[in-house]
Amino acid sequence: MRWNKEWIRFPFYLTVHPYKAYWELKYERDQKTNLWTSLIILAALSFTMILSSQYSGFLVNYKDPRELNSLMEIVYVVVPVLFFCIANWSLTTLMDGEGKFVEIFISTCFALLPLIVINLPWIWLSNFISMEETAFYYVSNSIATLWFLYLLFVGNMTVQQFTASKTILTLFLTAIAMGFMAFLCLLFFSLIQQIAGFVVTIYQELVFRT
Amino acid sequence: MFDDRTINVQAQKRAIRVLGLVLACCLISAVVGVPMVEAATQKTPPSYNYSYWNEAVPAPAAYQATEIITGNTLGTGQLLEPNDLHVTEDQTVYILDSGNHRVIVTDHQFQVLRIVDSFMNDGQVDRFQQPLGLFVNDEGHLYVADTGNHRIVQLAPDGSLVQIVDTPESDLLPANFVFQPARLVVDLAGRIYVMAIGVFDGFMEFNADGTFTTFIGANRVQVDPIEYIWKRLSTREQRSQMVQFTPTEFTNLDIDEEGFIYATNGDEWGDNIKKLNAHGTDILRRNGYFSPGGDIVYYINDGPPRLIDIDVADREIYSVLDAKQGRIFTYNGDGFLMYVFGGKGNLIGEFHTPVAIERIGDDFLVLDKALGEITVFKPTEYGQILNEAVRSYYEGDEERSSALFRRAADLNANLEYAYDGIGKSLLRQGEYKEAVHYFRQAMDRLNYSKAYLLYRKQVMREIFPTMMTCLLIFIVVYFTVRKVVNLRGRKKGVPIEME
Repeated sequence: MRWNKEWIRFPFYLTVHPYKAYWELKYERDQKTNLWTSLIILAALSFTMILSSQYSGFLVNYKDPRELNSLMEIVYVVVPVLFFCIANWSLTTLMDGEGKFVEIFISTCFALLPLIVINLPWIWLSNFISMEETAFYYVSNSIATLWFLYLLFVGNMTVQQFTASKTILTLFLTAIAMGFMAFLCLLFFSLIQQIAGFVVTIYQELVFRT
Repeated sequence: MFDDRTINVQAQKRAIRVLGLVLACCLISAVVGVPMVEAATQKTPPSYNYSYWNEAVPAPAAYQATEIITGNTLGTGQLLEPNDLHVTEDQTVYILDSGNHRVIVTDHQFQVLRIVDSFMNDGQVDRFQQPLGLFVNDEGHLYVADTGNHRIVQLAPDGSLVQIVDTPESDLLPANFVFQPARLVVDLAGRIYVMAIGVFDGFMEFNADGTFTTFIGANRVQVDPIEYIWKRLSTREQRSQMVQFTPTEFTNLDIDEEGFIYATNGDEWGDNIKKLNAHGTDILRRNGYFSPGGDIVYYINDGPPRLIDIDVADREIYSVLDAKQGRIFTYNGDGFLMYVFGGKGNLIGEFHTPVAIERIGDDFLVLDKALGEITVFKPTEYGQILNEAVRSYYEGDEERSSALFRRAADLNANLEYAYDGIGKSLLRQGEYKEAVHYFRQAMDRLNYSKAYLLYRKQVMREIFPTMMTCLLIFIVVYFTVRKVVNLRGRKKGVPIEME
C-alpha cells in the first residue's frame, strides 16, 4: 500500500461532514484501510487517556498518581468500545440493521476522534490555567463528548440504514445491553473465582491433612 | 430450632445485602471506570494522621499519657461510674462521680478542694441521684444534670442552691414527657442548653430563670437505603414491629467562648459534628481534606466511629472522642485534622470505656467510666509545635506560624496541612514560585490557583520585553528578506517584461 494523504485527511473530514463521510466510509472506501485507521484512532485515544491522567494540570487532575496504571487506562478505553460494538451488533441484527460487525466497529472508532483532537492539547494547556479558567477545560471536555455522541449517532444511523428515531432507540437499548453484559461478565468472573477458591481450599486441606 | 432459623435468616439477609453491595460496586466501577475503593483493609499505624488521599499515614505522637488519677490518688475513695468532667478558665477540675452521687472539685494538680454531694433545699438536705452531666460557668455556678431526679440543679460557688429546673411544661412537649437531662452547657447570658434522653427534637433551651423556651438544632432523619427497601417490601404488620426512622440523638455538647454550641451525634454517616449558631443552624467549617468526624478508614466489622464527647479549646480548636476505638481527634477551625491519640487497651494512655474529654491548658484529661480513672495527656514537642502553629495562624501571625509549620513538617513529612501553612505565608511574602510548590505538596487547589495566577503574571512581566523584542526583530527580518527577494525577482523580471 502506498502512502496516501487522504488517510489522515479523511477522519478529520468525517468529524465535520459526518453524513457524507460515513456514507463514503461504508460504501466507497477500502474496508481494510478503514479498519487500520480505526485501530490507530483507538490506540491514539488510549494514549491520550494515559497522557491525560499522567500530565494533566494539578487543578484538573484528581487521579492518585500512585495508582496510575497505563494498561488499565487502555482497558478502560478498549473494553467499553468493544462492549458497545458487541451490544450494538447483537441488537441491530435482531432489528434489521444492515451493519456488519466490522462496520459498526469502524464507525464507532471514527466517532472517537473529537475526544482526541480536543483533549490532547488540553493536557498541555491545563498546566497553565487557574481555578477560574478550568471552566474552559470542562466546557471543551463536554463539547468533545457531545460531538462524539453526535458522530456516534450519525455513524450508527448510516451504517445500519435506520431512521433517526430508531437509531436513538437502539442506542438507548445498547446502553442497557452494555449494563447487562457488564453484569454477566462480573457474575461469571466471580463464580469462576469462587470455584477456583473452592479448589484451592480443598487442595490446601488435603496438603495439611496428609 | 427457632433461634437457629432466625439467625440463619439474618445471616442470609446479610449475605444477600453484602453480595448486592459488592455487585453494585463492581458494576458501577466497571461502567464508570473507577478503580474499586479498597474498603478499610489497611492496618492503621500506632500514631497516624489522614492524608489527602484518605489513607492513614504514620505521624509522630502528639500527646503522651503521663499520669493516671484515680479516686485513691485523689483521696476521695474509688470513683464509681463517673460520667462527666469540666475544667473552668482558672483550671479548676470538676469530676462528676455519678455512681457516688457527688461532684469532686480539684485544682489543676488534682488536690481536692471540696466535694459537693448535697445542698440545702428549703431547709432540707437534698442529694443528687445518678447525675450524668455538669457544667460550670464563668461565675463559678455549678449546673448539674440530676438525671435520676429529673431536674437540673444550679448551685452558687459557696454551695448554696440558686435554682432547680424541673420537668418543663410546654405545648411542644408530650403530656407524658419524662425529663431526663443528660448533658448541659450554659451560655454567657445564662441560658441553659440541655441534651435530654429520649428527645429527638434537638437541644432543650431554657432561659436563665429556668423556663423552657424551645428546641434548637434538631438532627435530620437519616434513612438507611437498604432498611428502607426492606421496609417497603414488608407488610404493615411486619413494619409495625420494625424500628421507626427517628432522627439521631445528640451524644454530647460543648460551648465555645463566643457562645456557639459544638455538638456530636450518633449518625453513622453524614455530619456527626455540628457547630450550632443561635438559630440552630450548623456552621461548622469543613474545609479540610475530609469532613471532620473521627476515623475515615475503619474495619467494616467495627463500623464507623461513634463520637460521644466534644471539647472546644481556644482559637476554634476542638477535639472529639470516639467511643468505639477510644481515640481522640483534634481539628482546627477550618476542619483540618491535627492529631489523633489514644486507643483501647490496658497500657497507660489506653482506655476501657472513655466517656469524657476536657482540656486543661494544653493537656488533655480523659475520663474512663468503667475504670473510674482520669488519664492525663501532655503534648510532645511535635504536639506543642502544632498547637502553637495553628494558634499563630488563627491570630494572623503568619511569620511565626510559617516557622512553626516548617518545624512541624520537619518532624512529620506526611503532614500536608503544614505545607499549606508554609505556602500561605510564602504567598503573602510574594514568593509565588515557592508558594505554588508548597500548595501543590499540600494538595490545596484553591490556594495553588491563587499563587499560580500571581506567579504567571510575574513571569509574563519578566519575559514580555524579550518576547516583544524577538517578535519585532522577526517582523523586521521577515519584511527585509521579502523585500530583498522581491527586488531580486524584479531585476530578473524586468527584462522579461521588456520583451
